[in-house]
Amino acid sequence: MTRKKVKLAYITNDSARKATFKKRKKGLMKKVNEMSTLCGIDTCAIIYSPYDAQPEVWPSPLGAQHVLSQFKKMPEMEQSKKMVNQESFLGQRIAKANEQLKKKKKENREKEMTQVMFQCLTGKGPHNMNMMDLNGLGWIIDQYLKEIDKRVESLPKDTQPHAASSSSPVAPPPPPPDVMLGNGSGAATHVERQSFGVNMDSMQSQQPCYLDLMNSQMGFGCDEIIPPFVDNNNNGFWSNSFFP
Amino acid sequence: MVSKKPSIGRQKIAMRKIPKKNNLQVTFSKRRAGLFKKASELCTLCGVEIAIVVFSPAKKSYSFGHPNVESLIDHYMTKNLPPMVSNDTHKLIEAHRNANIQELNTQITQILDQLEVEKKNREALDKMKKANQNQCWWQAPIDGLGLLELHRLRVAMEELKKNIAAIQVNRILQESTNPSPFVYGGNGHFSHHGNIHGNIPNGVDVASVIPHVNNFGYGQRHY
Repeated sequence: MTRKKVKLAYITNDSARKATFKKRKKGLMKKVNEMSTLCGIDTCAIIYSPYDAQPEVWPSPLGAQHVLSQFKKMPEMEQSKKMVNQESFLGQRIAKANEQLKKKKKENREKEMTQVMFQCLTGKGPHNMNMMDLNGLGWIIDQYLKEIDKRVESLPKDTQPHAASSSSPVAPPPPPPDVMLGNGSGAATHVERQSFGVNMDSMQSQQPCYLDLMNSQMGFGCDEIIPPFVDNNNNGFWSNSFFP
Repeated sequence: MVSKKPSIGRQKIAMRKIPKKNNLQVTFSKRRAGLFKKASELCTLCGVEIAIVVFSPAKKSYSFGHPNVESLIDHYMTKNLPPMVSNDTHKLIEAHRNANIQELNTQITQILDQLEVEKKNREALDKMKKANQNQCWWQAPIDGLGLLELHRLRVAMEELKKNIAAIQVNRILQESTNPSPFVYGGNGHFSHHGNIHGNIPNGVDVASVIPHVNNFGYGQRHY
């Protein structure tokens, strides 16, 4: 089959038009046939062209007659319900495609914004964003926070190993990371390793690294990117990006 | 890692009635749309008149016709009708219609092209996301993160959120007190490739311009 994209307009070249007509007419009839067989339904197609005095008919004059009389027997309203001509058909397609386009654009914008959000975390700050984008960014952050909270809710908080697999909601938020590590680093982190060890393992065997992170801020399989927010000074990470 | 595909793509199919009712209905829906699309194209490309009537599995009728279904069917069924007279008025009306249809064709083509662009866009974004996920643990899906990470992530996110709010407030204040294009960033074009003109030129002491900003993280730097 041809690979050139055909412009959707009347073909002015006579021989090209005739050739296209022959091919596409054949293809169309084939499609009608297939649909009829696959779906076990009654169909007919009629084509009037300047190349033939008689219209081309599928499946046959008799078959078409059968379908058409069936059609005519229906009340007018039923007939016209799903009846289209080129204008209305194209109109429908346009509306549907526009909807799709809107949806895809929105999805892509969200994806992009999420990337920006993560970039900001590593101190690459939001550069040159207009208010609308900033709003969008804020929204994405909110959504992400909600997800984090949801996930935290579903995780077991107690240090009993056997309770690790249950997903009971917890009431008080756990103390900040520093304290948690300070107190029972052995127990807490050990439990986490047990219940989330699988997850950690699956992330490129970084197990030892996330502990080291608290001490040395060294990389963990991530070459250049050192998350500044590891810095326990709460204000610190952000300013770097603005005042290099 | 197995890459997830949105659908299994084109498969060869046996040419007989589809056994599963659900599949049959879906197939009907899709193929009907495709059939009408092909018919529409044939009409446009070759300037021919077509009528198609199909009955759905639920016995509903769907029909496509150019110029319109009814006149074409009537013409066909009453074959002894004299050939359609085409005077100047007819021709004018037809030309008008065709121009209209041409416009619609252009529109649909345009939108479909834009959809292609968004599709490519999405693929690029997904690729980037995947690459970043492998490098940076905090970008990995939340379900894979431990409690510790979640908390650190949360803290960082809250911080970021505060700072963004600060920037926005800052902008609004600056705009109202000192509406200088010098301070407000650019034409609003957002590029995540890091187009660094910066809203606030280096050296401008933001804290001194707007006292409230002292409370926010990035303002403190100046002390």
